[in-house]
Amino acid sequence: MTAKATTRKRSRAEVESEKPVLSSEDEFEIPEINGDEDSSDDSDFTAGDEDSDEEEEFSSGAEDEEDEEEIDSDEIPSEDEVSSKKDRPTNGDVPDEEEEEEEEKIEPADNVKVVTGADGNPRYIYPEIEPVYDSDDTDAEETNTIGNIPLEYYENYPHVGYDINGKRIMRPAAGKALDTLLDSIELPKGWTGLVDKNSGAALNLTEEELEIVKKLQRSEITDEGFDPYPDMVEWFSSKVEQMPLSSAPEPKRRFVPSKHEQKRIMKIVKGIREGRILPHKPQAEASQEPEFYDIWADDAPPKPDHVMNIPAPKLPPPTHDESYNPPPEYLPNEKEKKEWEEQDPEDREKNYLPRTHKALRLVPGFNGFIGERFERCLDLYLAPRVRRNKLNIDPASLLPKLPSPDDLKPFPTTCATVYRGHEGRVRSVAADPTGVWVATGGDDGTVRVWEILTGRQVWKLKVSSDEAVDSVTWRPTTEGRILAAACGNEILLVVPPIFDSEEENQGKEILSAGYGYAANRQGKKEAPGTWSKPDPVLEEEGVVVTITVRKTVKYIAWHRRGDYLVTVSPEDVRRAVCIHRVSTHLSQTPFKEKSLTKGIPQRVQFHPSKPLLFVATKRYIKIYDLAKAELSKTLKPGARWISSIDIHPQGDNLIVGSYDKRLLWHDLDLSTKPYRTLRYHDKGIRAVSFHRGGFPLFCSSSDDGTVQVFHGRIYSDLMENALIVPLKVLKGHKITSHLGVLDVDWHPKQPWLFSAGADGTARLWN
Amino acid sequence: MGKIKKKGVAGNARNFITRTQAVRKLQISLPDFRRLCIFKGIYPREPRNKKKANKGSTAPVTFYYTKDIQYLLHEPVLQKFREHKTFSKKLSKALGRGDFSDAKRLEDLHKPRVKLDHIIKERYPAFTDAVRDLDDALSTVFLFANLPSNRDIPSKTIETCARLANEFQHYVIRKHALKKSFLSIKGIYYQATIQGQDVLWLVPYKFAQSVPRDVDFRIMLTFLDFYTTLLGFVLFRLYTLEGLVYPPKFDKKMDEMGAGLRAFSLESKKVIGEIENGTNGQAVVKKDVSKQLETLGEKIKEIEEKGEEEDENAVAPVAEEGERINEGLDKFTAIPSKDGATTDVLEQPTEDLGGEGKTSNMFSEWTVFLSRETPREPLEFLLRSFGCKRIGWDAVLGEGSFTKDDRDPNITIQIVDRPPQVGLPPMPAGVEAKEEATTGRGKVLGRLYVQPQYIWDCVNAGRVLRPDSYAQGAELPPHLSPWVKANEGEYDPTAPVEDDGESEEEEEEEEEDVKMLDNGEKNGVEAGDSEDEEWGGMNTELAGEGEDDSEEEEEEEAKGGVALDESDAESEDDEVSKQLQHQRELEAEAKGVAYKDEKKSKKSEAKKKQDKEKKQREDEIERQKMMMTKKKRKLYERMEYGNKKKQDEKERLEGKRRKIEREKKKGKN
Repeated sequence: MTAKATTRKRSRAEVESEKPVLSSEDEFEIPEINGDEDSSDDSDFTAGDEDSDEEEEFSSGAEDEEDEEEIDSDEIPSEDEVSSKKDRPTNGDVPDEEEEEEEEKIEPADNVKVVTGADGNPRYIYPEIEPVYDSDDTDAEETNTIGNIPLEYYENYPHVGYDINGKRIMRPAAGKALDTLLDSIELPKGWTGLVDKNSGAALNLTEEELEIVKKLQRSEITDEGFDPYPDMVEWFSSKVEQMPLSSAPEPKRRFVPSKHEQKRIMKIVKGIREGRILPHKPQAEASQEPEFYDIWADDAPPKPDHVMNIPAPKLPPPTHDESYNPPPEYLPNEKEKKEWEEQDPEDREKNYLPRTHKALRLVPGFNGFIGERFERCLDLYLAPRVRRNKLNIDPASLLPKLPSPDDLKPFPTTCATVYRGHEGRVRSVAADPTGVWVATGGDDGTVRVWEILTGRQVWKLKVSSDEAVDSVTWRPTTEGRILAAACGNEILLVVPPIFDSEEENQGKEILSAGYGYAANRQGKKEAPGTWSKPDPVLEEEGVVVTITVRKTVKYIAWHRRGDYLVTVSPEDVRRAVCIHRVSTHLSQTPFKEKSLTKGIPQRVQFHPSKPLLFVATKRYIKIYDLAKAELSKTLKPGARWISSIDIHPQGDNLIVGSYDKRLLWHDLDLSTKPYRTLRYHDKGIRAVSFHRGGFPLFCSSSDDGTVQVFHGRIYSDLMENALIVPLKVLKGHKITSHLGVLDVDWHPKQPWLFSAGADGTARLWN
Repeated sequence: MGKIKKKGVAGNARNFITRTQAVRKLQISLPDFRRLCIFKGIYPREPRNKKKANKGSTAPVTFYYTKDIQYLLHEPVLQKFREHKTFSKKLSKALGRGDFSDAKRLEDLHKPRVKLDHIIKERYPAFTDAVRDLDDALSTVFLFANLPSNRDIPSKTIETCARLANEFQHYVIRKHALKKSFLSIKGIYYQATIQGQDVLWLVPYKFAQSVPRDVDFRIMLTFLDFYTTLLGFVLFRLYTLEGLVYPPKFDKKMDEMGAGLRAFSLESKKVIGEIENGTNGQAVVKKDVSKQLETLGEKIKEIEEKGEEEDENAVAPVAEEGERINEGLDKFTAIPSKDGATTDVLEQPTEDLGGEGKTSNMFSEWTVFLSRETPREPLEFLLRSFGCKRIGWDAVLGEGSFTKDDRDPNITIQIVDRPPQVGLPPMPAGVEAKEEATTGRGKVLGRLYVQPQYIWDCVNAGRVLRPDSYAQGAELPPHLSPWVKANEGEYDPTAPVEDDGESEEEEEEEEEDVKMLDNGEKNGVEAGDSEDEEWGGMNTELAGEGEDDSEEEEEEEAKGGVALDESDAESEDDEVSKQLQHQRELEAEAKGVAYKDEKKSKKSEAKKKQDKEKKQREDEIERQKMMMTKKKRKLYERMEYGNKKKQDEKERLEGKRRKIEREKKKGKN
């Protein structure tokens, strides 16, 4: 117990000493409060302390025992005790308790005065406690000491427990029922619904406390203003401060003149005084001028010029006319002088006019000297320099070596025969494969056959009175002379009665052989062409078969074997091209609808040896493989409107005439573009034709009334391009209503040319 | 398929840079860029494909080669320009403050000065390159040497130019390098051969030059800056090679008195230096060492003597030294002539010494006196370059003459440029002598009086010509340019012109044309009217000719068929002139065949034949042209155009000459 006593004393001292610290919240009242509390509460507290000496909470040594005792005493509270305790606050029986205490005390401390009390018992009077720090623990909150028992147990009592001194803690006055009702309706601030164990009052939380609770719930640190993630301050960074702030004081040397400088200045001053140093010495003249030395001392060999370096061209040396006394022929006459003066100075070839002076002393100064030098300077730095290769060759060497026309003979040069008889234009001309007759067809609707050499008309067939004969052609084989003529939408296959009867019969046989076939096929499908017997009138004249197609036939071409012939009727969009077979009397359209989409067919030709069909539309020439039935090639001559084509008898070259004045030579092996484009006609080209009898000739006829004859040689060597030489312009046909020569054809064996003109004549040229 | 090339990363697009881009890249102003380009010799280019070079734009722009501009980036001069910019700011600040002493100090001490040495070495890595490019430099320097100083041109520049010009002339005189000279209406052209390079320059006549308003002297002065530096270095090298001290001594007093060339005195270097550098480098190498040793002692002696003399007399030693060197070099003549065929380098000295050894000393025997009306400088230069040592002139022409007395008996040739005095009233005997002495009017016996052109013609001819036609007051023969070598098909004024009748006829026609034109103009008739009218107008005057033509036409008619077949042009012509032709036919018929004289008909026949051949040839060419590609045809036509122009020019000159000659004949008759 002694230990306990000492601890208690100490703790009391602590409490008392603590008091001022705690109450230091209001600093001004510290002494007063201290004094007051000390004086007033001292006795009370000391008594209280003594009562609850056993209830020392912070003693560590015999905590368990004390707890047990406490529990014991608390658990079984005797009636007496309760009652006595009840009395205490009211009665204030402090002496009793003191007495009890005193009894318990065995050895009072030394400084305790023992006096005899009123009851005669010794009374210990303790010295006044110095209210030093940790002398008292009165700041300890009033705690309910009932421990861990539910408050319900005290429901029936006016108190809710005991404080540390064993005094009853009275239940706070409960509000009226209405208050509680109101409370239950409108929750007061900080209401928790709990009852403070210590005071028995409703445990309300202040706003700060609520905030803390909230923070705790969010598991945050409860300190106000505590930032868990502050921005990092880079105290040590890579940046080097240009002018780090320094708190070092300004050194003195910054305020006083430099001694070192002073020294140097004095040195210079001394020098100046002595005259050694000249202030503002004028720059030596020599140093201003460039100093010359042997800059080429190393004698480097001249380097080859860089490719991009173009040295400035030198000015040309003066010519005779610049002389002060030139030969008289160099002097300009009045006209030249005037011309020169009227010219703009920039346009003048030379910037001076030749003059003559009798003597040197009479020569005046040249006015434009500075100007000329200035121009030269400008040229040197402003004029773009270009390296130009001067061609030092004879211009004649550029001319191609053409064989002379004499070497290329024979070719037609003059008009030998004029075939007159047609009324209106002669549309078409064709020479018989034997080379005796020539057939023509014209606007007057007649087909005429002439004897070539004499120009005599031997046969005439009036086909139609209103429609023109657009095309006449002979069957290319020698047996059976058959002439095909197109008039309107009819194609007449004629055997002119000008041959001997054997040949005539042969021809008729060939033509009438197919009659049976045509009958068999009838009704099956609507054929593009109808084969029929002609009118008796016509039949008498020699017409054997007429083929009727839908629209006007413009052109007929035979296959080389003479069994097929192909016709073009450009107006018929669907069946523009028809192939007719003589032996079976059948017509067919090789192209389905829309297969020839681009443009209307103008001309059609069979290849001279291969199963190819050339179809010339307005812009393109399409080559169809008849065996495979497919388009094999499209030529693009680049002409606007193709008028005619012809294929070289060897089949690899093609000439194209166009209404836009161009004659184009295509090499089929070379490209789809023309190999040569010849523009020698003044008007559109109407017809072109190759010679098929072995002469390397071709010609073109045009609306300018001329026929141009060319030499076109093809070499068997594939590497060598065709040689084309213009030979002759044949003039003779007259232009009537803007039309010139409408058709041309070569004699099958001779270098003779037939032409059909719009002036109503056909001509033979040889 | 190869990788697709990106646009604008190679070729034209990269190789060329526009001027604006260049200026921006270099970060300088346009005038500075101009200066830089002038110094560095950078010039615009013409890209093959402008569109590609200019990022697809076809706007007219100046292009530079990108590499050129890139090199400029590291140019020290560029740095100097920047320094100058800061300097000018400082200066203007000082001037703005009115702090003139500070400004002066800045100007004197801190003005950045551009040095061009490195640029010269860079632009002309070898000495011959520099010599080759001297043409413009010399012309400019000689021009400025003759200009008065003004606000644009500081007097110092002009002094420098005059000095350089004189120094260069001295070198040419000493080396006898002058080859040709030409008196033109612009000035005097000179051509010298230096280090095997032909240098041609033009010196204006001594007159005040009129300055056009559009001349920017800043540009000219920039060029001049470069040229003076270049010329300085070249002269230094030339003088050093020659064993002379550069710069030569310059006597200011003499110069002020108008001594010109004589104000300079050449000094030779020390003896050993002289021998090493005295002759051409190649010649020394080829030289036999033993021979060199043999002559060395003598030479040293000689030179020492000469050196002493030089100090006393500035004029004499120069000429003597020149002689001496010629003597020394004479020994080598054989060697170079052997090797000369194989190498180019060796040919030069042979040219100098062998055949033209005489030429270069053509005038050495002469004592010349220049009258006061003659141009002294060019004559002195010319005479001295060709070996004349004793040149005297009138006191008016300046200091430094051999003699000022025009009656000096030593004088062999006097150059005069004024008409001879005729019809002078006789003077009293005493006065006459005095008068003549003072004015120099009278002729002195025993000397030749020639006009200045004589000297030039002698120089160009390479020998002393007969002085007959150059006598005082005589009409001078034409002075021709020595650089024009008449090629085939060009007009040669020295060659005689064949005076065939045909051309004469043409000539006459032409003449008539001119007359007609004049008449036409006078009468207010349009000059270039159709042929018909001209013919009509000529009917009366030129009956003979008209007849001629009609005959021709007749014959052509007779040929008939052929004429029909000939080309369009003729037939068209025929059509056009049908009426006229008919008329002429009638006329011819009326006049009858009697008029035909044989000679003329023959001539006309020949002419017709010629015409026909010509026509055939033209037809043939036309036919060939038809078969050419367009490109070739264009080229051919251009060439033809050029040739035709030359031909026309030749014909024009020939025609004129014939006319003049005929007139002369007439005058004589």
